[in-house]
Amino acid sequence: MSDITLTVNGTKRTVSVESRRLLADVLRTEFDLAGVHIGCAHGACGCCTVDLDGQPRLSCLTFAVQCDGATINTVESLGGKQAEHPLQQAFKSEHGLQCGYCTPGFIMTLAPYVDEMVGRGEMPSDADIREAMSGNICRCTGYQGIVAAVRKAISDQIGKETTP
Amino acid sequence: MRPAAFEYHKATSLEHALTLLQEFGEDGRPLAGGQSLVPMMNLRLARPGHLVDINGLGLDSIEERGDVLHIGALVRHQRYFDDPIIARRLPAFLEAVHWIGHPTIRRHGTLGGSISHADPTAELPAICVLYDAQILVASTAGERRIAAADFFANAYVTTLEPGEMVTGVEFPFPPENNSGAFLEQAERRGDFALAAIGVSINHDTSTITSASIVCAGARLVPTRAPEVEAALVGRALSAPEARAAGTQFSENINPVGDHAASADYRRGLIAELTTRAIERACEKAREHS
Repeated sequence: MSDITLTVNGTKRTVSVESRRLLADVLRTEFDLAGVHIGCAHGACGCCTVDLDGQPRLSCLTFAVQCDGATINTVESLGGKQAEHPLQQAFKSEHGLQCGYCTPGFIMTLAPYVDEMVGRGEMPSDADIREAMSGNICRCTGYQGIVAAVRKAISDQIGKETTP
Repeated sequence: MRPAAFEYHKATSLEHALTLLQEFGEDGRPLAGGQSLVPMMNLRLARPGHLVDINGLGLDSIEERGDVLHIGALVRHQRYFDDPIIARRLPAFLEAVHWIGHPTIRRHGTLGGSISHADPTAELPAICVLYDAQILVASTAGERRIAAADFFANAYVTTLEPGEMVTGVEFPFPPENNSGAFLEQAERRGDFALAAIGVSINHDTSTITSASIVCAGARLVPTRAPEVEAALVGRALSAPEARAAGTQFSENINPVGDHAASADYRRGLIAELTTRAIERACEKAREHS
């Protein structure tokens, strides 16, 4: 067992973990963050994506013991209980989810992408959006609504509707 | 599934990592980006007793060293998109990076990890073979270099000895008049390649002066066909014989069939992808001439 200190959603805590424990499992069990979903557990579905030190990372391909000292944000860090983050709101209005199992992974992959595009004041093409979310699999609603949600989250913030 | 138990070791220097790997032998594996090794561990296809975490040891520079481009083992795939030397001097390499996994994988996966894993469908092993790269390897006994063609021994098997670790790769620069392309077909974007083709051609203003073609995903290791490459020398950059070369290449490769695609399907796919990759490389060459 190793003692590791993680700052998760703004709270710093030390936990004792076996080396083989996946970050995804530690976030779910030790930190009670049930928004970290585990779909395939081998890096194919993207459900478990979290923000690790500022970058989207597959928490099923990461051992918790590797993350000593890291700052981690999960979907619970975005938008509060009412899910008020612009991307979460856009997923709702554009029907970007159905069962919702894959949604936290999509949100954690795409929120930094939306922020980057908003920062550049740029509306990406649908092909670019699809490339950005190509590591996430949705098995019920399809990707049309998710692409629309990304476009809406960006256009709501930069005030442009169309691709330049 | 979840991995079997192992002991985790955070290496504090390259020497420390090599000492640990020497101590653990076959039971030890370096841990870099984890994008290949950890899925294998989760599926219990790999059960190393010891992981040596080499993140943070440096080994992450891309630099010109005379007539080669040296890339450290810990360079993450995403970096290649912003590298002007790769874009200009190794164009097939840059095109291949677009086909690696997806953005999250590309941000974490490493060159050393990809080639040590030696997935027969992976892009970077094919790129190493395409450009006749040298794999730089270290152990407590010292350093050695292995030609890419001798490095990939079988599917998921390399000629690395226990205790050895890849520290970097050297890509010899092709001449200035070089063009290249990389095309791939998979069931889904970012999935394992059914077949992938890399082409690199050297040329003058109107003809191909030498060519390399590599195929991944169809044999146990990335494969070239010297006869097909030789047959392209002296041919026009307008590439009228691209289709003949593509067909000949697919026959030489003699692809395997598996659950994802039959051998016949792959043969047709390789012929088509090779034709298009040669045409694309020649088209880019004509634009620059």
